[in-house]
Amino acid sequence: MPSIQIFDPALCCSSGVCGTDVDQALLTFAADLDWLKRQGGQVERFNLAQQPLVFAQQAAVKQFLERSGQEGLPLILVDGEIALAGRYPRRAELARWAGISSLAVQVQPATGSCSGPGCC
Amino acid sequence: MQFLLNAPRHLFFTGKGGVGKTSIACATAVQLADQGKRVLLVSTDPASNVGQVLNQAIGNQIVAIDSVPGLSALEIDPQGAAQQYRDRIVGPVRGVLPDKVVRDIEEQLSGACTTEIAAFDEFTQLLTDAALVRDFDHIVFDTAPTGHTIRLLQLPGAWSGFIEHNPEGASCLGPLAGLEKQRAQYHDAVAALADPARTRLVLVARAQRSSLAEAARTQAELAAIGFQRQHLVINGLMPETEGQIDPLAHALANREAAALAQLPPALAHLPTDRLSLKADNLVGLSALRRLFAMDESMATTQEVNKAMPPLPKLAGLLNGLAADGHGLIMVMGKGGVGKTTLAAAIAVALAERGLLVHLTTSDPAAHLADMVAGTLDNLAVSRIDPKAETERYRQEVLASKGRHLDEAGRAMLAEDLRSPCTEEIAVFQAFSRVIREAGRRFVVMDTAPTGHTLMLLDATGAYDREIRKKMAGGGLHFTTPMMQLQDSRQTKVLIATLAETTPVLEAANLQADLRRAGIEPWAWVVNQSLAAAKPTSPLLQQRAANEQAQLAAVASQHASRYAVVPLQVQEPVGLERLRQLTQP
Repeated sequence: MPSIQIFDPALCCSSGVCGTDVDQALLTFAADLDWLKRQGGQVERFNLAQQPLVFAQQAAVKQFLERSGQEGLPLILVDGEIALAGRYPRRAELARWAGISSLAVQVQPATGSCSGPGCC
Repeated sequence: MQFLLNAPRHLFFTGKGGVGKTSIACATAVQLADQGKRVLLVSTDPASNVGQVLNQAIGNQIVAIDSVPGLSALEIDPQGAAQQYRDRIVGPVRGVLPDKVVRDIEEQLSGACTTEIAAFDEFTQLLTDAALVRDFDHIVFDTAPTGHTIRLLQLPGAWSGFIEHNPEGASCLGPLAGLEKQRAQYHDAVAALADPARTRLVLVARAQRSSLAEAARTQAELAAIGFQRQHLVINGLMPETEGQIDPLAHALANREAAALAQLPPALAHLPTDRLSLKADNLVGLSALRRLFAMDESMATTQEVNKAMPPLPKLAGLLNGLAADGHGLIMVMGKGGVGKTTLAAAIAVALAERGLLVHLTTSDPAAHLADMVAGTLDNLAVSRIDPKAETERYRQEVLASKGRHLDEAGRAMLAEDLRSPCTEEIAVFQAFSRVIREAGRRFVVMDTAPTGHTLMLLDATGAYDREIRKKMAGGGLHFTTPMMQLQDSRQTKVLIATLAETTPVLEAANLQADLRRAGIEPWAWVVNQSLAAAKPTSPLLQQRAANEQAQLAAVASQHASRYAVVPLQVQEPVGLERLRQLTQP
């Protein structure tokens, strides 16, 4: 199964509840990741404020940071290659990268703006 | 002293700033060492003066105290611990990742939350690292003031449970996420704290209603997280003999007796020791060794200088405060210095000038504010209740942001909302709602204790940057809470303190923190001053004379303008007695 790596900007916490206003995008994504893990997907998530060394050790991530800065994050790698940057992936995208049937996405439609396969 | 009998390995002293817990912790450590025990004295107080009390410089490494065989000491400096934590995380990527990215990471790790956790991490080591402390029979902790203490002690209980229930650790642990590998250590720390054979907690209070109420709250909160074995020390009692000479001493003794007669039930059953008021500040070994002596000789050998210079009154600040007809007035300072009283007195005085005033308090023991509510037509009184605000905020987020999540997602969000940050955010939101009114009328606030207050300001800063980011380019006129706090025409910050060494040091630290945030305090108010009360008893005169050095420091080093409020013969509750605080 392909491995997905998420490189977050410097966050207090990955679900976003620590901000002065709760960030809906982070919240939805945290729920989507949780869903993906329950489907058996392989995901790792790194927070720039807590594990900056991981960012420095991956050439692709380090170069991305040099070119685009922290504002360019989040960055998503699938098997070490850049798959997406600048926004969090939708549930269907995660499922596709992880090789999980889109049927599973339809059975559990729950993400914010995207409740069916058509919109993603 | 009952709390010294069969002393277990860990002894904790807790109480608000100014109750004397540093002195008592030091005296305890010295006494145990004098008995031939090997003792480690640990200060986790951000304003530690253990070094001053023992006449030896102490730092963040364990050092032997030369003058007391068997005694070693250690100061945990929360700021220093946070810096070490930042260096551990950021150090390896400095020069590797772009400089701007490194600066962003450092900023993210500069919050109060990081400081709190970094200090706690060191404290955990002392409870669980056998090699570090095997050379000691006793470890005596002079802990930080109550709110901070509770936070420190509550975290292991809450977080051990949290980590267990979230084996993936993907959730909101804030800066603790970096420390997660040590979960076994946190578990051991909780076990050590809850074990009465190993740990004793000594609540230190003065014989004053608010101080005892605070001790009762601490008792309940700590008992709830497993701290079962507790003692109570009532410090600084007025000796009976003084009351025969001096009406002020007599009134104080009566107030103390009345407060003790209404001792909160939770405290009444605790083993209790009483210590009498001493004439001198407890600095130096001979003073420490006399602290527990029952028959303190009252003879004050020094000639007391009775010619006190005139001290500026609180009334002298009122014209300046009232000048603009509206604005935010914040009384800030550590718990126990009488912020609520001062805020209420100022609010009443402004209201009596016919101005519109809103007095708002976040002090959980706000009986005083309740007593002025409804007494004047143009004085409104409200309260920010942290527990209620937090619950309201949780429900609001679950209802709005949680609406689109599936069941598992909602459960995760609910769990995350139990994180320690949530209360800070909820209280901050209530705070920013209230301060918006200050454009139309006076808003007078007593704020919660210092650490908490700074967290609010910290949050204000983050909020400020967020709003700036969103508004940038829009060309819109806007005012953020931070801009409001930094503008001295809109906001006047009064720093409240007592004329004693530790409270003045704490107030100076608070002022430095505010200045870092771009906020310049408008004035200082020294509350409960004996020097301003002009006592006649030799003991109180000696203590009044001891205040001179601190009053001079406030006047010449710290404050651009200041006022001194005398210690009141009667407890300043109710409209009539509050008026006396602002008498010209």
